[in-house]
Amino acid sequence: MDPAQLAYLVLLIPLASAAVIALFLRRQGALASYLSVAAAAGIVVVSSVLIFGGYRNFPASVEWLRFGGFALSFGVKFDDLAALMLFVVSFVGFFIHVFSLGYMRDDPARGRYFAGLSVFMLSMCGIVVADNLFMLFIFWELVGFSSYLLIGHWYERPSAAAAANKAFIVNRVGDFGFLLGIIWCYHAIGTTNLSELGRLGGPHWLMVNTAIPLLLFCGAVGKSAQMPLHVWLPDAMEGPTPVSALIHAATMVAAGIYMLCRIQVLMVPDALTVIMWVGTITALYAAICAIVQTDIKRVLAYSTLSQLGYMVAAFGLGSLVQGSAVKTALVATGAAAAMFHLTTHAFFKALLFLGAGSVIHACHHEQDIFKLGGLTKKMPWTFLTFTVGVFAIIGMPFFAGFFSKDAILYLAHEKNPMVFGVLVFTAVLTALYMTRLWRITFFGQARSEPAAHAKENGPVMVIPLVLLAIGAALSGYGFFYDTLLGDAFKGVLSLVPEPEGAAHWTMVTIGTGAMLVGLFSALMFYHPAAIDALQARVPVIFGGLTFAKESFDRLYGYYVAKVQQRFAMLLNLLEQIFLAGWLIRGGASAVGLLGMGARALYVGKLNVYVYWFLLGVVLLWGFAAGKF
Amino acid sequence: MADFLFYLFAFLTVLAAVGVVLNRNAVNAAMCLLLSFAGVAALFTLLDAGLLAFVFLLVYAGAVVVLFLFVVMLFDVQGAGPRKPYKTVPAAASVVALALLTTGLLSLIERGRLPGSVPVAAPGFKEFAARLFTTYLLPVQVTGFLLLIAMLGVVVISKRLETKEAAQ
Amino acid sequence: MNALPPLLAAGWLPAQVGLNHYLLVSALLFAIGFFGVLLRRNTLVIYMCLELMLNASALAAVAFSRYNGTIDGLILVFFIITVAAAEVAVGLAIIVALFRLRHTVQVEELTLLKN
Repeated sequence: MDPAQLAYLVLLIPLASAAVIALFLRRQGALASYLSVAAAAGIVVVSSVLIFGGYRNFPASVEWLRFGGFALSFGVKFDDLAALMLFVVSFVGFFIHVFSLGYMRDDPARGRYFAGLSVFMLSMCGIVVADNLFMLFIFWELVGFSSYLLIGHWYERPSAAAAANKAFIVNRVGDFGFLLGIIWCYHAIGTTNLSELGRLGGPHWLMVNTAIPLLLFCGAVGKSAQMPLHVWLPDAMEGPTPVSALIHAATMVAAGIYMLCRIQVLMVPDALTVIMWVGTITALYAAICAIVQTDIKRVLAYSTLSQLGYMVAAFGLGSLVQGSAVKTALVATGAAAAMFHLTTHAFFKALLFLGAGSVIHACHHEQDIFKLGGLTKKMPWTFLTFTVGVFAIIGMPFFAGFFSKDAILYLAHEKNPMVFGVLVFTAVLTALYMTRLWRITFFGQARSEPAAHAKENGPVMVIPLVLLAIGAALSGYGFFYDTLLGDAFKGVLSLVPEPEGAAHWTMVTIGTGAMLVGLFSALMFYHPAAIDALQARVPVIFGGLTFAKESFDRLYGYYVAKVQQRFAMLLNLLEQIFLAGWLIRGGASAVGLLGMGARALYVGKLNVYVYWFLLGVVLLWGFAAGKF
Repeated sequence: MADFLFYLFAFLTVLAAVGVVLNRNAVNAAMCLLLSFAGVAALFTLLDAGLLAFVFLLVYAGAVVVLFLFVVMLFDVQGAGPRKPYKTVPAAASVVALALLTTGLLSLIERGRLPGSVPVAAPGFKEFAARLFTTYLLPVQVTGFLLLIAMLGVVVISKRLETKEAAQ
Repeated sequence: MNALPPLLAAGWLPAQVGLNHYLLVSALLFAIGFFGVLLRRNTLVIYMCLELMLNASALAAVAFSRYNGTIDGLILVFFIITVAAAEVAVGLAIIVALFRLRHTVQVEELTLLKN
């Protein structure tokens, strides 16, 4: 089978699975789950062949639509970047599918859930392999749709339905900018094919204007939940935990970063600066909000937001400098750092979420961390793997997150000291809230009934945790990629910035120092207790942080209710007057008038009809005589 | 001689026609109609279509006018009412119609002239009958059906009303 | 009868009676009949004027047939007469029925199709 067929197979397997489940297996939840897991396994197998078999940049494109001069084609661009992303998506996706087998065993609507998961895998793989921006956009929207489906899985709960709506609508706002950018790109350059864009760029980047990359970045702002469109991600935790792990931690939200890396060619310095600051502010803000959360999943959601901010900032940091050869290397280092962090983040964030899911499942869907506790002995595997995840995310040396965060901090140190400062402070906060979470959830006495009766879950749920923990531990090391994976992603990962010499030890020190500050302050301040220590002792700060968290939602709520609603009513008024009134009823009345006029001719008197007849004869006569 | 007769009968016919139009009494109008039919029949004879003149008189003067008189006498016993007051619109319309008709006639006289033709020997009865029952046999049959249907229709129209009235 | 030759000589009357004369008479009859249809208010009289118009066309047909030497015009007139008779019968039956409904034959009163 040639590589193009393999690439299409990656998309067709989940499509077939989704179709079969949606059409036939809605009631048979068990069958649906096995089919979906089998499809995920199939994707792993096929993508492994593609990735590790060395197939790169093979031609695979099919023209799908044609409107005159515009052709929309459906193709695959499989370079090292796509290979890396596909690796992440397929493996993490498979682990989460297996975990869902156990997690959703008692859910009556399992069939729908697994159909949604298959649709998601289809759309995500589509985004990964897409070779032009229009196709990317199509799958982008599909991913949004599957996210909506899965967040609203328990739609009987109004909060879940509202959260699904919110996610979709906020994403739509970002997609509006994205679509504008795509169209502008097509208009200005004449193609949206990524390989073509790369070729057109040649040795220099295609610097058309600042607007195109910024508009395309809007899509990333929506999908990867940067400020100001971050409000949907915390609410998206209403969905089942494996969904949160897959979509809102490891893969879908990373799609924005991936897209940015795909369109590196179009970047200009100003756009990169904007991107850098957006990412940095998001990272900081999310970390601040995470400190006061009580729901285990919310903490992880804000942590995801923060890490996404890191990735976006990393991309933005690879800024351009005047001078040709340096330009190309620098943007690529930013992208490489972002992708590296994306990979490690996928592993440890999925691990953390699945660990949380394991806890939630064992404690009968108790999600408030202040009602948990005492789980170290009762759920040893979960505790162990969760610990690995926590160490990874806070940047403990020798774990994956250390290396990737180190790369980003080094890049920031070289480029922009202010951003560097903010990112270091965010690292401190990251360590702080993650340690808080870890401490309060697992340690101490069990603080409620469900926690007291918790016990470790079956192997179906534990094995994925272990495998992900291995990934979280090892994915930072070079040898993992070089040796274990056969150097499959050389194109991307070789560009990751590594500090040399003295700078090396400076970065290690600063990174570890930040982590330790956060770790120990959390250990000292937070004890496993039933209430939040910050709330108890320093209510001012607690109140301030909570306000910060809610401010955005309140702002949007105000805007929608006061501004947008009023504007909509004004438009409604205009529509009633002009469109419904003048145009439609006016048109109807004009016709009615004509009808009345015609009716008036029928006076009912025979003589009148005969006069009309005479007139007709005269006209005919004149016509026959050649008068007209 | 033939010319004189033509002018005589033509004048008679036109005069009778004017009488039909202008007579206020319906019975008088029917009588004038009868007279005009007679004139037309004479003109037919002048045109050497004797059979047709005969049939014309039989059918029209003998049946149609009688029918008209029956219906007129059945329903219009009181005659026309007093002369209606003069109304502008119908009067103007009449003037216009008259003008149009006159124009038409004049234009016909001026331009509608066909080249003068010499009367050809007239065909006789035998040929007429032969043609009627060979080339035009189908129309003859169809006309037979037409008359049948007309008769049935008349019976139905009249009868329906009677049964309704009888039921009341 | 004797007035004719001097009138002829004076050029007042056209030379010999030909097709055009008959056609003129036919046209006159048609015009008069049409005028009657326009003017009269009694339905029956209107119908009579319709018959006048029909006769005019029959006269024209016979005249053409005679002056072209064909027989088809005569046959056409034969059928015209027949059909006209049938038509008169049916038409009068309808007028009778209408009278029974409306108790009038004045055309102004028969305005069911108004508007």
